[in-house]
Amino acid sequence: MKILVVEDEEILRLNIMDYLKAEGNVCDFADRFDTASEKMTLYDYDCILLDLTLPDGDGLKLLQQLKKEDKSDGVIIITARSSIDQRIEGLSLGADDYLIKPFHLSELSARILAVVRRRSFKGNDLIVFNELTIDIQRKTVKVNNLSINLTRKEFDLLLYFLANKSKVIAKSALVTHIWGDHADMADSFDFIYTHIKNLRKKLVDAGCKDYFHSVYGVGYKFTDE
Amino acid sequence: MRLFTAYNRVLLITSIAGLLLIGYLFYHTLSNYLNKQLDNYLVEELLEVKDYTTKKESFPAHTAFEDLVIEYHQIRQVSLKRHFGDTIFYNAKKQVEETGRYLEEDLQMGGQIYRVKIIASKIAHADQAKSIFLVIILPVLALLLLLLLVSRYMMKRIWLPFKQLLLNLKSFNLNQEQNFAQVSTSIAEFKELNDAIVDISQRVKSDYREIKLFTENASHEMMTPIAVINAKLDMMLQSADLSEEQSKNLIDLYRATAKLTKLNQSLLLLVKIDNNLLRDREQLNLKSVLIEKLQYFQEFTQQNGIVVNVNLQNHSLLMSRYLADILLDNLIGNAIRHNKEGGNIDIKLNSEGLWVSNTGANEPLDDKVAFERFYKSPSSEGMGLGLAIVKQIVELHQFGITYSYQTGVHTFAVFFKHHSANSPIL
Repeated sequence: MKILVVEDEEILRLNIMDYLKAEGNVCDFADRFDTASEKMTLYDYDCILLDLTLPDGDGLKLLQQLKKEDKSDGVIIITARSSIDQRIEGLSLGADDYLIKPFHLSELSARILAVVRRRSFKGNDLIVFNELTIDIQRKTVKVNNLSINLTRKEFDLLLYFLANKSKVIAKSALVTHIWGDHADMADSFDFIYTHIKNLRKKLVDAGCKDYFHSVYGVGYKFTDE
Repeated sequence: MRLFTAYNRVLLITSIAGLLLIGYLFYHTLSNYLNKQLDNYLVEELLEVKDYTTKKESFPAHTAFEDLVIEYHQIRQVSLKRHFGDTIFYNAKKQVEETGRYLEEDLQMGGQIYRVKIIASKIAHADQAKSIFLVIILPVLALLLLLLLVSRYMMKRIWLPFKQLLLNLKSFNLNQEQNFAQVSTSIAEFKELNDAIVDISQRVKSDYREIKLFTENASHEMMTPIAVINAKLDMMLQSADLSEEQSKNLIDLYRATAKLTKLNQSLLLLVKIDNNLLRDREQLNLKSVLIEKLQYFQEFTQQNGIVVNVNLQNHSLLMSRYLADILLDNLIGNAIRHNKEGGNIDIKLNSEGLWVSNTGANEPLDDKVAFERFYKSPSSEGMGLGLAIVKQIVELHQFGITYSYQTGVHTFAVFFKHHSANSPIL
């Protein structure tokens, strides 16, 4: 996928690009309003990550410009502004998603995948990974063409892992993904363990290879290596 | 007490007291003066009696005196000098009892001592006094009444701009774009007041704008570095040669960053509620939101063997969805976090309010400080902002909240009824 990262904070931008490049994406960047505006006009991207507060302009104006030029790039707003008004304004101007800083790179990756999928596969939204087939629309999972029953949270987890294949995902990223921003229950990390244990068991019982690898209690990795 | 009432009360009390005092003094002086007149008349009559007795060696007949009653008593010795006084006597002519003025004096006649008492009726004089009194007091009373009416009317008229100022102040809303509506008046004091209010409202508005700006900037300035830390941690996690030692450090760093994020979010949330920046009110069915929440918290309750009892009635209210979420998250989250293994949570909802009770520590919270920022019970792992946020949300929506404790059960009750109907925030 071709992704444009519009972000003026250099370290954050480099990190995002490194993470996304490691997944095989092509990344371009803009750290100012005018360069972003130029690149958005010249090229087509699968997804644009847009910071709203740029040193020389309001990111929302870039959204308007994109709309005016009738472009179909997916846009995810990444911002520290968390007011609902702005969120609504951003989404009504044609952004596909809205991610509030700070966020986990794994979360960003999952959102990008969702946006790109939603834009490119209309209706027929299948993710295939070896013997696993996932229908995002119908929220069904098949192992070797055999349906298995997953709870909503287990389904979300599996999708999240698939969006971050071969990456180590921090437990705190999983917790935030499943329970949202307000989850700060001291033992929520244990629940992630329980959920993954259950998900793993259901997949393995259905004849799926065990792709889950625990990394010293800090996170998990989903890989077929 | 209204200004008019206070003013009129003082005016009425002083005028009534003054009127009574003046009336009393006036009446007293008048009757004293009339008594003196009567006394002189009585003395003259007595002199006539004396003349008569020295000439004729006997007392004049009773009938010789018009309008007067005269009595003679023989007594042993002289004891009384001339003496005036008030009395009630029987007027034989009119055949009624009347008030009168009398004069007593002892007289010698033919070696005998007599006491002579002459009584004159006071009726005519009293009538005279009464009419003089009324002629003077009644117009004064009328004048006073007129003054009261005029002052009442003037007060209403003069204070009209003040009332309008108050009205405009009450309808002034910091969140709306329009400025304070000015009141034009010719009275200097009210003009000054109007100018002062206009001045203050403009300053408040600009301060308010700055706070909004500060909130946004603080959010951005703090969130971005935290975002960098988070991203760096996520990258470090990907390195192939991660040792167990490093992983443990990463876990602690993740936790600390999460806590920092949460702290920053909570503080910004408090600032936003304080400044009423969250105004996405909608009609919420609290019951369905609660059911959703309980599903969300399912794992947490099941894990600790906590039994959740619910008694929910349908109740809709106008509330920010975002804040309702946070309110319930905090209340239910607390009830789980501060519960004990195999404990209970009772949730009751009706049109009156919402009650969340949980079993927990055998010590009540200090309800004076429980809702204050950064207060936390010794066992709490949180930051002490949860209940402060709850209180702020409750106050924003003009609900009420109470905490109570009874034998190991802690209850937080949110009451939906307005505390004070006349202080609209929105």
